[in-house]
Amino acid sequence: MTAVTYLEAIGQAIREEMRRDEAVFLLGEDVGTYGGAFKVSAGLMEEFGSERVIDTPMAEAAIIGSAVGAAIMGMRPIAEMQFIDFITCGFDQIVNMASKFYWRSGIPAPMVIRGPSGGGVKGGPFHSASPEAWFFHVPGIKVVVPSTTYDAKGLLKAAIRDNNPVLYLEHKLLYRLPELREELPEEDYTVPLGKAITRRAGEDMTILTYGAMVHQCLKAAQTLEQEDDLDVEVVDLRSLMPLDREAILESVKRTNKVLIVHEDTLTGGIGAELAAMLAEDLFEYLDGPITRVAAPDAPFPYAPPLEEAYLPNAEKILAAARKLAAY
Amino acid sequence: MPTPVKMPRLGESVAEGTVGSWLKQEGDWVEKDESLAEIITDKINAELPSPVAGRLAKILVQPDQTVAVGVDIALIEENADVAASQSVEAAPGPDAAPVESPARANVAVMDKQSASDGNGSKAAVQPSRVGEEERQRISPLARRLAREHGIDLNDIAGTGTGGRVRKEDILAYIEQQQAAPAVPSYAAAAQAPATQPVYTPAAPSAPKAEPAPTVIGPDEELVTPSRMRLAIAEHMVRSKRTSPHATTVVEVDMTNIAKWLEKNKEDFKRREGYSISYVPFVMKAVCEGIRKVPTINSSWTEDNKIIIKKRINLGMAVATDAGLVVPTLYDTDQYTIAGLAKQIAAIAQRARSNKLTVQDMQNSTFVVNNPGTFGTIISVPIINQPHAGILSMDAVVKRPVVIEDDAIAVRYMMYLCLSFDHRILDGAGAGGFLQAVRTKLQSYGREIDVY
Repeated sequence: MTAVTYLEAIGQAIREEMRRDEAVFLLGEDVGTYGGAFKVSAGLMEEFGSERVIDTPMAEAAIIGSAVGAAIMGMRPIAEMQFIDFITCGFDQIVNMASKFYWRSGIPAPMVIRGPSGGGVKGGPFHSASPEAWFFHVPGIKVVVPSTTYDAKGLLKAAIRDNNPVLYLEHKLLYRLPELREELPEEDYTVPLGKAITRRAGEDMTILTYGAMVHQCLKAAQTLEQEDDLDVEVVDLRSLMPLDREAILESVKRTNKVLIVHEDTLTGGIGAELAAMLAEDLFEYLDGPITRVAAPDAPFPYAPPLEEAYLPNAEKILAAARKLAAY
Repeated sequence: MPTPVKMPRLGESVAEGTVGSWLKQEGDWVEKDESLAEIITDKINAELPSPVAGRLAKILVQPDQTVAVGVDIALIEENADVAASQSVEAAPGPDAAPVESPARANVAVMDKQSASDGNGSKAAVQPSRVGEEERQRISPLARRLAREHGIDLNDIAGTGTGGRVRKEDILAYIEQQQAAPAVPSYAAAAQAPATQPVYTPAAPSAPKAEPAPTVIGPDEELVTPSRMRLAIAEHMVRSKRTSPHATTVVEVDMTNIAKWLEKNKEDFKRREGYSISYVPFVMKAVCEGIRKVPTINSSWTEDNKIIIKKRINLGMAVATDAGLVVPTLYDTDQYTIAGLAKQIAAIAQRARSNKLTVQDMQNSTFVVNNPGTFGTIISVPIINQPHAGILSMDAVVKRPVVIEDDAIAVRYMMYLCLSFDHRILDGAGAGGFLQAVRTKLQSYGREIDVY
């Protein structure tokens, strides 16, 4: 058995689910003959044929709209966005169709929309998006963000088997990261939607985060332990919708200080909702202000030094955590 | 030349005050009227506003120390240059807090005054300093823990940014309390009243033996009273020692007022935005009674004179979470009943939200207490020194009473209980006053003009 990358884990999940269930199929730009822009679907067309691995025109509204149609007819489509930035072209199909269909007609729309998100790869303003907050706001859609290879496979399998539309945001920076290579279980497994995981236990502060930022937070937590003697807990949310309220509240109730870290921009982000929830439920358990570290409210920059300045990283997290600890 | 800050007079019965805590440290910049310290006297914890803007140069009276009214307790240096450079050093850093625009207005002026060194970062630093400075810095968690463990926050020194009390501080304090045996903690409590000399003009000044430490049994609990509780205790003992109390009671037929309230209370509240109750009616009647018997509104002095007060400023007892306070309703006799209702609502609101000012706590001349809200029917109140008397209005209850022509009717009845200083007044004066109050209250017909 060999260790696989985050990207290979996604490919494995699709392949195994397509083998397990004939209703599962993949559609998107260049997913078939070319094997996907990042090669997530390499080899799938050979195995399953062009009726289950469909190359589509460059039209996201059509990709997502077709997926909704197929889903309500009993299929389980996986719609790939070549870059998640372009999901906006299919926005109407997601927020007006996929999300509401079950509520409106009682017919479920089991489908997955997935694609590479996030920055740190010099992708510039149109290839670096973190669109989770837009969809997090829409009732009827689940949103998941894997941060590890194990979760990448397990969460995608769970998303495919779920009877609701699920937005699965993979992070392109993690695709081939050597340190994320992992040997995965041979047997079939899933990671349940709506369950957070504690990546590092601690007593002095909770960091709530997800996606690629999990790794920056862990790095910062290690420094805080070594240099500041602070015992920081890092909770990887994994599912943004539904949120694992129980785990979040339990951790913050215990540590009394909370830092929220996300790569998406600050205003109206996931952190805003988490902050409101914590203020409502745990006000008298807070020993310091709910603090957020996020990208500034600006479009994603192209120039590498600007990108570095723009993205949250371990140093920025460290500075915010130290200030909060001293509060 | 530094400006001295003096111990304020917080109520005329009080000759001294205790510094509860300093809200500023030596070297801190203070704005004019910004809270400087917490002063504890008699029945209130009041914040002392700074008389001038400047740097707090020296603290002369430490927390828990009691000094006479008028004594210098701190010095403030008004030299702006010194102040500005000091506060820049003390400020937590340019990124400490968002720049707020209201604070910025102040800073622009201050910067002009001290712009000679051309320090550009000052504008960014100063507002955060001003904006962050609050009365007491404490985290929500620490506040809850302190409440749950009955800890007086004044006893705890915060170790967070800017001296904020946070979790660690409370936990360390609890641990320390648990580790220390019961005796020292008692000793600390016993010192508090000892620092506030009990005011006993007539009592022989026999040397008091140090009380033996209290020993409690297994089914008893020892509670250390709060400062306010101690102040109330001291005042009550002092009042009883000072004035020979006599109490007399009259019964008042409140039927017409009760029926008017039943009919108009809701409308009044909707129209005016504040409630009306029996209290303004009684206050109005008390003013009438004082006009008839002016010695009710007086004080017996230490050199055996009587001061008759021309202004009628009724004190109003308000129960708050922290304890009993008696804020003043100035010139009570100048208001209509509706006007009094409005003043009462405003003062009660200030008392309950802890916003009473020094002014609110001074210069009362007589107190109207309303234990009737708790359903009591007869009370024997203790005089708020140095007044000549205190009136309790008890619950208005329906009772069968004998009216004119020996008929029996159901009427709304209330007892008014007056405790008075028998040095100043005799039964005749007290009775005359109560008679006048009763006559006024019973003079209302079915239609009452409260405006």
